Amino acid sequence: MTDAASKTGAVSARAEKLKARLKGRYAREARFKWFGRGAIAIALAFLAILLTSIVLQGYTAFYTHSLTLPVYMDPARIDQAYPQGTNFEQMVAEQQLVRMGVADDENGSKATAMRNLLSSELKFIAADRIRAQPALIGQTIPLTTPLSDDAEMYLKGKITRETPENLRRVSDQQMQWLDSLKSQGVIRAHFNSALFTKGDSTQPELAGLLGAVIGSALMLTVTALIAIPVGVFAAVWLEEYAPRNRLTAIIEVNINNLAAVPSIVYGLLGVALFINFLHLPRASPLVGGLVLALMALPTIIIATRSSLKAVPPSIRDAALAMGASRTQTVFGHVLPLAMPGVMTGSIISMAHALGETAPLLLIGMISFVPGISAAIDAPGGALPSLIYIWENASERAFHERTAAAILVLLAFMIVMNAAAILLRRRFERRW
Amino acid sequence: MNTKLIRTPIAYGPEGQPTGAGAEHSRSVAPTVGDSARAGLGPIKISAKNIKVFYGEKQALHGVSLDIPDKAVTALIGPSGCGKSTFLRTLNRMNDTVPGARVEGRIEMDGEDINDKKVDPVLLRAQVGMVFQKPNPFPKSIFENVAYGPKIHGLASSKSELEDIVQSALKRAGLWDEVADRLHAPGTGLSGGQQQRLVIARAIAVEPEVILMDEPCSALDPIATAKIEELIDELRERYCIVIVTHSMAQAARVSQRTAFFHMGNIVETGDTEDIFTNPRERRTLDYITGRFG
Repeated sequence: MTDAASKTGAVSARAEKLKARLKGRYAREARFKWFGRGAIAIALAFLAILLTSIVLQGYTAFYTHSLTLPVYMDPARIDQAYPQGTNFEQMVAEQQLVRMGVADDENGSKATAMRNLLSSELKFIAADRIRAQPALIGQTIPLTTPLSDDAEMYLKGKITRETPENLRRVSDQQMQWLDSLKSQGVIRAHFNSALFTKGDSTQPELAGLLGAVIGSALMLTVTALIAIPVGVFAAVWLEEYAPRNRLTAIIEVNINNLAAVPSIVYGLLGVALFINFLHLPRASPLVGGLVLALMALPTIIIATRSSLKAVPPSIRDAALAMGASRTQTVFGHVLPLAMPGVMTGSIISMAHALGETAPLLLIGMISFVPGISAAIDAPGGALPSLIYIWENASERAFHERTAAAILVLLAFMIVMNAAAILLRRRFERRW
Repeated sequence: MNTKLIRTPIAYGPEGQPTGAGAEHSRSVAPTVGDSARAGLGPIKISAKNIKVFYGEKQALHGVSLDIPDKAVTALIGPSGCGKSTFLRTLNRMNDTVPGARVEGRIEMDGEDINDKKVDPVLLRAQVGMVFQKPNPFPKSIFENVAYGPKIHGLASSKSELEDIVQSALKRAGLWDEVADRLHAPGTGLSGGQQQRLVIARAIAVEPEVILMDEPCSALDPIATAKIEELIDELRERYCIVIVTHSMAQAARVSQRTAFFHMGNIVETGDTEDIFTNPRERRTLDYITGRFG
């Protein structure tokens, strides 16, 4: 009886002890779960802050204002043979002053102030009209023109009256003029199509991303066409064919080290090899793509090798035992099974290449390339270097455009990643 | 009594030939008593002589000799790490694919040295099929799995011929009735036992002469195992089968000849019945009675 009692006592003491331990174990588990959630929350918060600040800075770049005024094409000032020689901005500004009943001083400072509200694009718009239709000389026609970046900044509320007049680029008088033009309804806000249809320009209101987007796309095409096949074949050879000896060990170590080399070093290599030695055209998407391909190679090789390694050896055995040659085994079985991993690695390194700036600066992509070039061997732009150039520009209107360019770059990346996911799904569904 | 029998740890060394008069073959046949009961087995298909296998510095086989008859099942038994799978893999030169592996000795198949430089391992493997421990169908459809071998070896000249080959292989592997209506479903979606039979169908679709099986039932439940064993028994009529197994009972059930491996050597070879009822070696007895292993 007593025996049994002491036994039960011992059992219950043991159970108590276990229970106490169990409590600690559950607590640890719960703590760990919360750490995990916390980490995710922090990461999401940073992402949200980043995106919000970019969107808040950049959304204003997606709309713009234009001004429509009646313009008297003064025969005394326009040379029909050479219309682009005419100072249309001055002419329009003076006519507008008259229309508003403002008398200018002897220096013409009021006309200058008015002219500064108009974009220099006005000259080209007007000259084009005259050239197309010389009969317009002597007539009064309505002309629509972008506003200058300073006027634009005031209309978007980025320059305000709170700033002392001597510290801002728009004077009280100019502000008053803009307000009155706006109340007359001749200033209209609309989508900033120039941002997507034009190349770079020194005038922010005329600057667009298309040149850089095309440049980046060309460059990535070159990178993908070179880096993916070369990287995949190199990885296949190293993983499936290469003998395990000192030479391949050295190659392996070097590839792993290359993945960690700063990208600016690749830029230097690109200058030395492609530009100075091979005399390929500077700042061209061809050279940019080659440099980025060099940079992407190690990543692609490493990703491909690890996904080849992850293919179960039983599949290799199965194919070899069926009398498949090594090449049939690799290309018929192992590589297709590794394909989702290969694609993920490739797309990630492509996305990296897309955002890479430092090597592009070294090969000359920092230079100002106006207009749009779709040639692979002519100087072109790239989105990240355009962002760098714009961020460093002094005109305030470039800052919102920088943020807009970042948003476009992000969209580019999202499209690429979505393509990667779609491709992966397709390849996986086959099995 | 035992001392006399320990004489030759390698039962079928070339030196054993003179005593092999009782059997129906002219070449290197069973030397010991009891082997006269081998009627019904085919002639010697594979003859391995003094096989040594090295993995880098480590020696896995220390000079193994074995004759394998055609139209019969030869079981290789022995404790883990004794070299039986290594030996099996020398028969279709799968060890060639292992980095650092080296094979010495002579393996003759129908009198020809399979390690000869002139022999292409790819062609050899078309003659010597292999089934592995874990079912390893390709992640493709059932049809594609079986059609793979005939396709790469160019055995079918038309689509309908290929379909016939696939059908007959699946029938011989006893899988046809279960998969006839879903030939284009993935092979990996079958049960373990079905996958193993699919793999056997894949192997016999190229009409090999020899089928090597490396513990084909170790991942299967008893019912699936019974089916595979039944299948092995049927296949025996057409092929030379070598099976590595951990299960003594399985060796006893399916094989006609048994070789007992221990620490990289063959301890004893003989008719399965003799090995299990009247082993000549102490170590064999200890192993089959479960005293070690």
